[in-house]
Amino acid sequence: MDQDGTSNSNSFSNRLIASVEDLKVYFHSKKGLLHSVDGVSFDIVDGEIMGLVGETGCGKSVTARSFMQLVQTPPGVIAGGKIRFKSKKTGNQIVDLLSLTENQIRELRGERIAMIFQDPGKALNPGLTIRAQIAEVFQEHRENDVFEKAKLSHVLKGFIGVVLKKYMRQETNLFIRLLLFFPPIRSYKKKLDKAIDKLVTEALAETQIPNPEKVMERYPHELSGGMKQRVMIAQAIACNPDLLIADEPTTALDVIVQARILDLIKELQKRHKTSVLYISHDLSLVRKICDRVAVMFAGKIVETGNSDDIFKNPKHPYTKGLIRASFMTHERGKLEEIDGINAT
Amino acid sequence: MALVDQKKIIENEPIYDSAFKVRLTRNLEILSNVLANPTTVIGLIIVILMISMALFAPIITEPNTPDPYQMPRDWKAARSAPFTPGHILGTTNRGGDVFYGVVWGARTSLKLSLLVVSLTLVVGVIIGSIAGIAGGKIDEVLMRIVDVFLSIPELIFALAIAAILGPSFTNIILALVVVFWVKYARIMRAQVIRIKQREYVDAAKIMGASNLQIYLKDILPNSFSPVMVQATLDMGNIVLVGATLSFIGLSEAGIAEWGVLVSEGQAGISAGRWWASTFPGLMVFLWALAFNLVGDGLRDVFDPRTETKR
Amino acid sequence: MQIKDYIIRRLMILPFLILGTSIIVFALTRIGGSPIGIYLSHEMNPAEVQEMKERFHLDKPVPIQYFYWIKGVFQGDLGWSGVASAPVVDVFPKKFAATMELAIAAGIVAVSLGIAMGTFAGARRNKLSDHIIRVVSVSGASMPLFWFSILLLIVFWVWLGWFPIGRSDPNLFEAIAHPTGFYTIDAVIAGNFAAFKDAIWHLVMPAVALGYGATAIIARMMRSSLIEELQEDYVDAAKAKGLAENVVLKKHARRNALVPTVTVIGLTFGFLLQGTVVAEIIFRWPGLGRWMAAAVLRGDQATIMTYVMFTSILFLIVNLVVDVIYANLDRRVELGD
Repeated sequence: MDQDGTSNSNSFSNRLIASVEDLKVYFHSKKGLLHSVDGVSFDIVDGEIMGLVGETGCGKSVTARSFMQLVQTPPGVIAGGKIRFKSKKTGNQIVDLLSLTENQIRELRGERIAMIFQDPGKALNPGLTIRAQIAEVFQEHRENDVFEKAKLSHVLKGFIGVVLKKYMRQETNLFIRLLLFFPPIRSYKKKLDKAIDKLVTEALAETQIPNPEKVMERYPHELSGGMKQRVMIAQAIACNPDLLIADEPTTALDVIVQARILDLIKELQKRHKTSVLYISHDLSLVRKICDRVAVMFAGKIVETGNSDDIFKNPKHPYTKGLIRASFMTHERGKLEEIDGINAT
Repeated sequence: MALVDQKKIIENEPIYDSAFKVRLTRNLEILSNVLANPTTVIGLIIVILMISMALFAPIITEPNTPDPYQMPRDWKAARSAPFTPGHILGTTNRGGDVFYGVVWGARTSLKLSLLVVSLTLVVGVIIGSIAGIAGGKIDEVLMRIVDVFLSIPELIFALAIAAILGPSFTNIILALVVVFWVKYARIMRAQVIRIKQREYVDAAKIMGASNLQIYLKDILPNSFSPVMVQATLDMGNIVLVGATLSFIGLSEAGIAEWGVLVSEGQAGISAGRWWASTFPGLMVFLWALAFNLVGDGLRDVFDPRTETKR
Repeated sequence: MQIKDYIIRRLMILPFLILGTSIIVFALTRIGGSPIGIYLSHEMNPAEVQEMKERFHLDKPVPIQYFYWIKGVFQGDLGWSGVASAPVVDVFPKKFAATMELAIAAGIVAVSLGIAMGTFAGARRNKLSDHIIRVVSVSGASMPLFWFSILLLIVFWVWLGWFPIGRSDPNLFEAIAHPTGFYTIDAVIAGNFAAFKDAIWHLVMPAVALGYGATAIIARMMRSSLIEELQEDYVDAAKAKGLAENVVLKKHARRNALVPTVTVIGLTFGFLLQGTVVAEIIFRWPGLGRWMAAAVLRGDQATIMTYVMFTSILFLIVNLVVDVIYANLDRRVELGD
């Protein structure tokens, strides 16, 4: 991986956090091979919000999922290309996300690269509390922090440590569950739970959720759509990732909530200096928050540039069409916003 | 010319005819989808084999006189093992030829399943339609009756009825009819209510079609597919339950029926004579399996929602 | 809140369903003719027969007879079992325990095996192991229990001699007290290991035979609902958090896939219950099912009536319980939003 990084270092500039090169993802379907992503290349500059725009089905979500190796294979096939990523935590080492093993990519998922999904109602597990779902991120990636916070670093070695680690990684079987039920391990477990509770509360507070202690005991269906998306965001930024992928994070929400979520993402991005890949079909939204934009059409990038430049001076006819279309929705959005203000 | 023809069609032919044509092409499409699933095809092949065995039973084995549905008794060759000359699958303790029972059992099973399915289907469809169309109190009363019927496990209900009517094959048929009509009533009612709300029924109403017309031309044909799926599954299940009742001893002893034969063969098991129960039981299994496979295949095609469930 | 209303509604309907069932079954038993034969012997003269008729109210019209039957039920009198030559009430508890022991053992087999097989197959969709489990589960629903039981009998009793038939070794059975009637539990209470082993040993074949069909149904449902859950967004979201494949499968997908499976488990209980009739005949298990089969062949109406009522009440209650569990498990049921 290191060699890979150095041999291409001239093309991978220091300014970048990630770079997609000639990515090709195909899908087997009844009608033959579908070229969903067909040679896509673009860069994400460290600390910027990069927009990826295109209509539904043009391959933008597949591109985003490729970052995390979340494309289902089969029916999907990664037919070629590279996604290079600079992991700031491990000394700016440059890796190809597509060629990592399952365990290697797992270490990055949720830790260095995080994702916000389109529909928070579907992306949260309906059967688990908010606490349980956010806690998983800490349990997976912040084991040492949790032990330290619980002041349990001293028991990490030895049998009790093994049991508690299994508990943290959720690798419990009947035997371990039995051990966890009896003292003294029971009291250690409670301390760990308290430490996790604290971390979860902090993460929720970060996204300006009121009463995080209460919200965390709720199930997803008990929260509104906007709240759910805040929970998703809290979960995504829990480990302060280098790259946040937001896959149409506001599409499933109504207009006013949309604006608030956008503000939140922008604010968090500034505070944590996270890079963001923002995916949307709505060019006007993208213009509001993105520094640069790549326009995607039928599996290919047709235009890349500064978002203002593209908006004012589109070159590709498809981009022009997209701008015209988004103008209409933009206007409508504006009207609704005004209405809302007048009413209150 | 062409224009005139079109006009003629529009004016003279009732609107339902073109709907029929649409349905026909759709059904052909469905058929090709059904045959695309290998397990369905396997089921279909077994079904065809079983039915031809039932139909050609008098050709395959010489019918027993006077009643071909009675097992022939060859007391001299009793308890012979499979591949004995003249008794390819062996005989029972009482000299019944297992092969004869297997072949004529198919005929008995076909008779049983066809009779029960057609009777339950008619009864169920009529009651379900009445409930769905009438609605209100009639619907409420009929559905509570259905609930009561559904609250007794199938086999036990059939067992009790058959027991009360007395042991005979005809009574098994009756018992199964009493138990199995309920599902059709439920399906039919649900379909009627669902389809009643559709736009094309409203359209037909606006065009002045009477209730009966709407029922016969719109509702009934559209309820066809779920009823057919259930009927196919029942063709298998009825033989399964019927054979179980026979096995327990509710048909006349000595008839050529798979369950009866298994029961007869049971006597020889402790002495190691496994064949007399094994072969007829296998037939029941294959029969039920085949119809279940075909029924599942049909359901997958008719109801796309379950497609992912496979 | 809706759940509560729903449960109350169901509870209110329950007595009416039971009443309806009893009317239908009673009417049916009387269609078959008067049950007087059970009480008669060959030596009785017509006057004595008439006396018997009056004693059991069989000279009255059927609705009045039904009334007397209901009255009897509330007084703890379920009639006289001709097959057992004893009052139904006296025979019932012992046989009930035997049948429940068998049904519960089969249920444990079916639930644990079914969920394990369904999870295994669903997680390895379209691999060889999935295909094998699919064949097993498809065949399970079409498998005649009487045939499968006989096959087990031929292989494991006649040929291999591994497992016995019947419920117990009489000597061991007599050696311990039977406070619960459940042989396994009684053996544990008595602290008699030999009896416990004997109980388990006798349970294996009938429980596996009886449980096979239910295993197939549960495995099939578990597989399909797991496959459905695995395609949900939250599974990808869980993976995106960096969780191990195994954790995603067990903690996220399987947990939710269990919800619809619970309803099917309730349905298979009826399946198990009716299967005991056949399994008890073949494995010579001294339970309700075998009693019922004998009663059916000899026209023992009191036994038939009691048995049918008992199974349908049990069936109704189990289904109600399952519905309650389902409503509580399924977080997707919106409670006013």
